[in-house]
Amino acid sequence: MNAQRFRNALVDTLLVGTVVLLLLFFYAPIATLVAFSFTSSRVLTLPIESFSLAWYGELFSKPDFLPAVRNSAAVAAVSTLFATVLGTAGAVAWIRYRFRMQAAFRALTFAPLLFPQLLLGVVMLLWFSVLGSWLGFSNGLFTVIIGHVVYITPFALVVVAVQVYGFDETLEDAARDAGANGWQVFREVTFPLLWPGIFSAAIFAFLLSWGNFYISYSLAGTARTLPIFVYSGIAVGSSPIYPALATLNLVPALLLVVTAEVFRRRALKRQSSGNPAS
Amino acid sequence: MVSPIIDAAGIVKDYGSARALHGVSLQVGAGEFVALVGPSGCGKTTLLKILAGFEEPTDGRLEIEGKDMRGVPAASRPTRMVFQKLALFPHKTVADNIGFPLKLQKVPVAETNDRVRGMLDLMHLRPDYLQRYPAQLSGGEQQRVALARALVSRPGVLLLDEPMSALDAKLKKSLQAELKKLHRELGTSFVLVTHDLEEAMMLADRICVMHGGHVVQVGTPADIYYRPANMFVAGFIGETNFLPVDAVRAGNGAQVTSPLVPGAGAEIAAEHIAPSLSEKGTALLVRPESIRIVRNDATAAEWTLEGVVEEYFIKGSSTQYRIRVRGLEAAVIVDLAGSIVLPARVGETVRIGFDPTQAFLLSE
Amino acid sequence: MKIEVKSWKDPVLLAAVAPLAVVMIAFFLVPLVMTAVLTFQTTQYYRLAWSWDLKIWTEVFSKPHYWTIMLRTVVMALVCVAICIAIAFPAAYALATRLKTFKTQIQILIIFAFLTDAVLKTFGWILILDKNGVANWLLMHVGFPPDALNLLFTPAGTMIGMVYNLVAYPMFTIYLSLVRIDRDLVLAAYDAGASRLRTFFEVTLPLSRPGLYSGAVLVFVLSLGAFLEPKVLGGGTAPLASELIRQSFETRVNWPLGAALTMVLIVTGALMLGLSSAFALRRRSAPGRPA
Repeated sequence: MNAQRFRNALVDTLLVGTVVLLLLFFYAPIATLVAFSFTSSRVLTLPIESFSLAWYGELFSKPDFLPAVRNSAAVAAVSTLFATVLGTAGAVAWIRYRFRMQAAFRALTFAPLLFPQLLLGVVMLLWFSVLGSWLGFSNGLFTVIIGHVVYITPFALVVVAVQVYGFDETLEDAARDAGANGWQVFREVTFPLLWPGIFSAAIFAFLLSWGNFYISYSLAGTARTLPIFVYSGIAVGSSPIYPALATLNLVPALLLVVTAEVFRRRALKRQSSGNPAS
Repeated sequence: MVSPIIDAAGIVKDYGSARALHGVSLQVGAGEFVALVGPSGCGKTTLLKILAGFEEPTDGRLEIEGKDMRGVPAASRPTRMVFQKLALFPHKTVADNIGFPLKLQKVPVAETNDRVRGMLDLMHLRPDYLQRYPAQLSGGEQQRVALARALVSRPGVLLLDEPMSALDAKLKKSLQAELKKLHRELGTSFVLVTHDLEEAMMLADRICVMHGGHVVQVGTPADIYYRPANMFVAGFIGETNFLPVDAVRAGNGAQVTSPLVPGAGAEIAAEHIAPSLSEKGTALLVRPESIRIVRNDATAAEWTLEGVVEEYFIKGSSTQYRIRVRGLEAAVIVDLAGSIVLPARVGETVRIGFDPTQAFLLSE
Repeated sequence: MKIEVKSWKDPVLLAAVAPLAVVMIAFFLVPLVMTAVLTFQTTQYYRLAWSWDLKIWTEVFSKPHYWTIMLRTVVMALVCVAICIAIAFPAAYALATRLKTFKTQIQILIIFAFLTDAVLKTFGWILILDKNGVANWLLMHVGFPPDALNLLFTPAGTMIGMVYNLVAYPMFTIYLSLVRIDRDLVLAAYDAGASRLRTFFEVTLPLSRPGLYSGAVLVFVLSLGAFLEPKVLGGGTAPLASELIRQSFETRVNWPLGAALTMVLIVTGALMLGLSSAFALRRRSAPGRPA
């Protein structure tokens, strides 16, 4: 009996240990970047002798930096808008409707998730190049946006689909029964209940777009987004400006993720415990 | 019924090629409490949804408050529904849930607040619940909020879709009592769907028994219990006994004999015969409480049968015996008044008797 | 759940489906077809020539250089699958069955790490794995000789990066299939006298198989396109298929070749996807196994 209990405790410890190690693994490079962003030295080796914020200043003095931020922000904002709207509509069609060719629709809207980003980028690059030579345009930010929308919409769709799946449609019937017309049902019940999922999807989409390298790299032409700025920089050589950039990136992103998740989980919980019988 | 508030005639509902309702007709009077009862899949919930406006009938006519309901959406009908899973809006407070129908009708805020508070009083809910969310209430309290939301706009008809099926037995009993009181106080028509016949008998003025998409019988609880239309209704009401008999019509009444009781015959009066009686499969419905164990005191009118006690259950106010009688497929169920002294033991051979003229003659 | 059957004539359905379908057809399906079409063309003087022949395919199939790299890509992908599953399963299991208190926080941390800029994270790994990097500095401080680890610019470095970037996917899929298992099934197994280990193998593991399969397939398919990791962490010492594709576009400006190599990877991924779903389906329809 005691041996049994010991073995169970061992299993528990090992399992919990895996999660702890995994978190260490996930955050090792992130923590390293944060640490090195405050170094005063040019070389990125330990120990860090003294602290300074000099590299943050250095980062902002790079002429390519602010244009890249602007480009990334524009791309992320527009892609997020499209991916969230398309993903939400798609999620409703995935979960709540049945229609002819639905299997094909599902396959078509899910497939980009199963594509390595590089290949997705290459495939679209070829198409835009052919199209560009026919119609006379060259790749730039708008092709990046299209690429991001194709890549990110399936993610947004999955996030919203979870919320749609947990949605109790009798609530809409109840609203109708209480005297609501179609628009009122949507405004009073459907949208507020799906909103946390849509909001999470938007945050997800924004961060995926903001940090995307592969597709931007394939489709940007001569334009530069932040990840391309970093990639071409580290190809030349390490510099503490990149850890500084990573650290700057982190804080708003963490805030966004935490808000979205807390918001979504609270709503899901409320939804599932709102009905005693379900 | 002078002018029914609900008048449904020949309602047919098809789902694809499957027919859920085969021409159902039902009238509900103003202020009446009607229960739709039947096993699952009998069409009772479909009928309720048609009344509420969530389903369009394939065929048939539905009038509520004298107006044809064809094409009238749920929102514009004088009906309000209490949903099986209550369907309280999880993102709205209790006050906003109850006040929702009034908000949609653009009732002024002050009046809305008054009426919401009024409903809260009526439902015996504490005023400080107004700012809570549904998830913060108990099952019984959520039930009351759902009722309040349905009643706040003073509907002509309240539709209830098995609203108490998720509650535990004790809570259910107290809510049933309250529902009955509420109905008496408000004078609103109630239509309740339930699979629980006991609930229907307790609450309803009239019961509509449904089976396989047909209405089998509509009547008062006493009609349904004592004068069932056929063996399905009689069996659905509760465990009971059917004694196969041969019946010959004699005037308004009938002459019955049973091969199990050789030599005995009985006259059944007209009011003890189901109107739908057919030649096939006639049987006497003998309720468990109208059978007794006879020793040497059988009266001349009584039919007696011999059997072996298979099992008994002490139910408190009564004791139920299951007695195996040769020639009968099912054990005979006998309910005797509860007593500390058991009249028979398992394995004992006993003689049971009942008065056939007090039984009810019906057919399959 | 109420599900509405809708006809294509319904404007609500059209509004929900059409825009997304159009985007996906115009910018995903058509490009895919275009890629396949391009593999039958050739280039002359760095320009595309519409020729309709099998020249590119003959080149791809006859050069052992390509085959070596393709094979290496598949092997790396399989190793990556094995490592990812070995890490993701216990972690997802722990998250689903233990750690009740910190579950939300841990999930947010994982999602956040997943969403952080991949190039920056990969750069972080350079700083760790470098000969003078964080890993060796730490090891030296616990008594290892200096330069104990030499992982940067080796296939092992590539692998660390690949696992790092992909392990979250099987964690999500496995976690989702684990939390969907009815707790009563596990209790029923205990009740029937099964030990914890036995219950795990008889109930939990078989029921989490859908998540396991889909996670494994995702890792495999996404591994095939690994580019940053072999380039930045592998230092080009053992190039993978992505490098061939990059070269055919950037160095050789040979689109048909790039397209053909891309198609090879897509077909490999699709084959794996088909195989595993066929396998999963066969398992599901096997007699005596609940669907």
